[in-house]
Amino acid sequence: MTGYLLRRTALLIPVALLVTVISFGIMHLAPGTPTDAASFNPKVSLEARQRMAALYGLDKPLRVQYAAWLGRIARFDFGRSFVDDRPVTEKIIERLPVTLVINIASLLLIFLIAVPLGVRSAAQPGGAFDRWTTLLVFLGYSTPSFWLALLCMAFFGVQLRWLPVSGLHSLDADGFGLLHQWLDMAWHLLLPIGIAAFVSLAGLSRYMRSSMIGVLRQDYIRTARAKGLPEHRVLYQHALRNGLLPLITILGLSLPDLIGGSVIAETIFSLPGMGRLFYDAVMARDYPVIMALVTIGALLTMLGNLLADAAYAVADPRIRVGGRE
Amino acid sequence: MRVWRWVLVVALTVLPVVPAFPQSEPVTGDALVVGSIGDASRLLPILASDSASGDIVGLLFNGLVKYSPQLEIVGDLAESWTVEQGGLVLTFTLRPNLRWHDGAPVTAEDVRFTYQKLIDPAVRTPFSSSYELVESVEVPDSRTIRIRYKEPFSPALESWMMGIIPKHLLEGQDLNTTPFLRHPVGHGPYRFVRWKTGELIELAANPDYFEHRPWIDRYLYRIIPDQATMFLELLTAGVDLSGLTPLQYQRQTDTAFVQRAYQKFRYPSFGFTYMGYNLADPRFSDVRVRRAINQAIDKQAILDGVLFGLGAVATGPYPKESWAYDPSVVPAAYDPPAAKALLAEAGWEDRDNDGWLDKDGQPFRFTLLTNQGNEVRRQVCELVQEQLKTLGIDVKIRVLEWATFVHEFIDKRRFEAVLLGWSLSRDPDLYDLFHSSKTKEGEYNFVGYNSPEVDALLIQGRQTFDQAQRQTIYHQIHRRLAEDQPYTFLYVADALPIISSRFRNVVSSPIGIGWNMIDWYAPSREQRYRRMSR
Repeated sequence: MTGYLLRRTALLIPVALLVTVISFGIMHLAPGTPTDAASFNPKVSLEARQRMAALYGLDKPLRVQYAAWLGRIARFDFGRSFVDDRPVTEKIIERLPVTLVINIASLLLIFLIAVPLGVRSAAQPGGAFDRWTTLLVFLGYSTPSFWLALLCMAFFGVQLRWLPVSGLHSLDADGFGLLHQWLDMAWHLLLPIGIAAFVSLAGLSRYMRSSMIGVLRQDYIRTARAKGLPEHRVLYQHALRNGLLPLITILGLSLPDLIGGSVIAETIFSLPGMGRLFYDAVMARDYPVIMALVTIGALLTMLGNLLADAAYAVADPRIRVGGRE
Repeated sequence: MRVWRWVLVVALTVLPVVPAFPQSEPVTGDALVVGSIGDASRLLPILASDSASGDIVGLLFNGLVKYSPQLEIVGDLAESWTVEQGGLVLTFTLRPNLRWHDGAPVTAEDVRFTYQKLIDPAVRTPFSSSYELVESVEVPDSRTIRIRYKEPFSPALESWMMGIIPKHLLEGQDLNTTPFLRHPVGHGPYRFVRWKTGELIELAANPDYFEHRPWIDRYLYRIIPDQATMFLELLTAGVDLSGLTPLQYQRQTDTAFVQRAYQKFRYPSFGFTYMGYNLADPRFSDVRVRRAINQAIDKQAILDGVLFGLGAVATGPYPKESWAYDPSVVPAAYDPPAAKALLAEAGWEDRDNDGWLDKDGQPFRFTLLTNQGNEVRRQVCELVQEQLKTLGIDVKIRVLEWATFVHEFIDKRRFEAVLLGWSLSRDPDLYDLFHSSKTKEGEYNFVGYNSPEVDALLIQGRQTFDQAQRQTIYHQIHRRLAEDQPYTFLYVADALPIISSRFRNVVSSPIGIGWNMIDWYAPSREQRYRRMSR
């Protein structure tokens, strides 16, 4: 088991390196430079732009630029943004909390709703409840989230005035007490989190449903039913435990999603999260920020896979046995 | 009787002076919430190259001079200035008792420091080129700055609208990375309070501002990256001031609520949309072809169709409000038959009866490029395509991502025609756009316009300080460009700001509505934000 994990971990290093080489290459292959923001302004001359490019080290060959970047990364220095010259780490840390709050909250919400939905649907596949939830979750799945967001903003925000249209805080929130500030933020995040959860219910509830259907066909469930256990105990005590196994993988795979914000949701709701940071960085060709986010994303993806595998091994004895052979 | 007649006379003379409704007196208080699509990046005038940074920096820092609402250059930090030796020496005298927000005096040394940083090769400023002709900056006393130029350069005066930065706070620091960029200290009508990245920038009225304290206590700059969200925020009064799209202006803001709660404004932006030709292309190097296309494009139809008429047809690079605009230039009449005749004269006729003009066996077909993300430009392209089709010219449209467009197509001259816009400063100097020396890769005369006459006029224009003489020169340039048609000038779009009606004294002018912001106020009863800034 330990050897297996060590081998898996060692394999991560070359993969991570490869990811950075590829993303560095692709980013620089894309036309455009960080000095483009100032281009097409007659007040900004060609010489001024060339001088700026040289100050950012962009006139050096790509190999040299990559080597310099790698050297800094080895010392945990992500460099400074080309857009505002602030340390990249500072920019990421500033954006991380919003995205984490939204993603963790919507993930929890999804689990809380999707698991019971899946279980109930699996109890009677093809029944009325199953068909109605199928309709509902697929309605969510196939609705463009930006469109739904705009509709909800217009209805709850403009028509009813129950919720704020956009933003993270009320304009005068810095004068509120701490609890008030938290409530204010929760009030602002109701729509973004609710919509994020609604449109992604389908995936998890379907996984849950099919996994439960598989489990419910097994002999031990028949035994449980045969000895006269009430149905809810059969479902939630006996079947659910095994039915949850595939969700471990899904949880592991969603680890990188926790820090990767949604550009569309953050733009529409005016939230300063990671999605917009990444999008703006790409648009401005802000290489240090892009590379930092790609590297962190790649590491988290690999870590998520690794954790999922490890957790699976802990949860499922068959995999532990397989690993020992 | 006599007495009563006098009373009547007095009453008639006095009455019209008293307004029908009592005019409220300006009061302090409230906050102005401005909606912006983008966040600022660096709050230092010499580094602020994006529009959001420019908006904020413009309230924190002043230049030596500024534009009056009538587009004349008037004193700002400088109370007066002189132009000597035919423009080789500019001498500015600062107003007395100017203070930084931290209380330190603003002196001529700050101006010299600003200049030194603008030309410092280690500072990442994009604006250095306007100061290359400066020979020296002398500071005879703490209120006088004498700037010598290597040659006369009339746009130089405009270049001193650059915000002055504090020497006492920035000396010895690396300007590219100084913490000052996020906590600026200026001398303008507002002072910096806080900046929550991607969310909000807050400014507060500067009680010691040299004109007078702005009436509005706080300026809140909300970052709302989506145009649709911005509009919904307007409808819930979450934003007091923002720009509208022509569609919103014309069709979506006529509800009773918006009409009651907001005032809309409309004034021409400085800039124009045009179709530019690659003049190295043998088809477009023939001026008859360019003139024919100019006659075959119905610009008013484009303006009505795409901008709901919110703009003006352009005849050259200047809006009508500019003193450089020559009113004697008549817009070419929309006249397809004349255009057809002109093209026939240039050898383009439909010889094989396939509906397209041809010459030497080649049909007249070209690709019109424009950039992605600008819906208006794409629609203009389609109208141009439609209108030239009736003439027998086959136009293909290609929409490209901005960086690809600039680097792979414009810079490398791989285009036949482009649809683009320029937004320009108020000074009419167009050296960078049309002088024949500005055709290197990355420079802005990418159409390759080369007219010895215009070259000479452009140089003369930037070496002349006398306004009347300059006007004659730029009128000539306007006329030449209208005749030569290196671009087909399409239209000047209007800026369409909307602002909460609780603010009084908002007056539109050729330079927009922001020019007298310190005089805006909200009457006490209508104020919405009570809290003061920290």
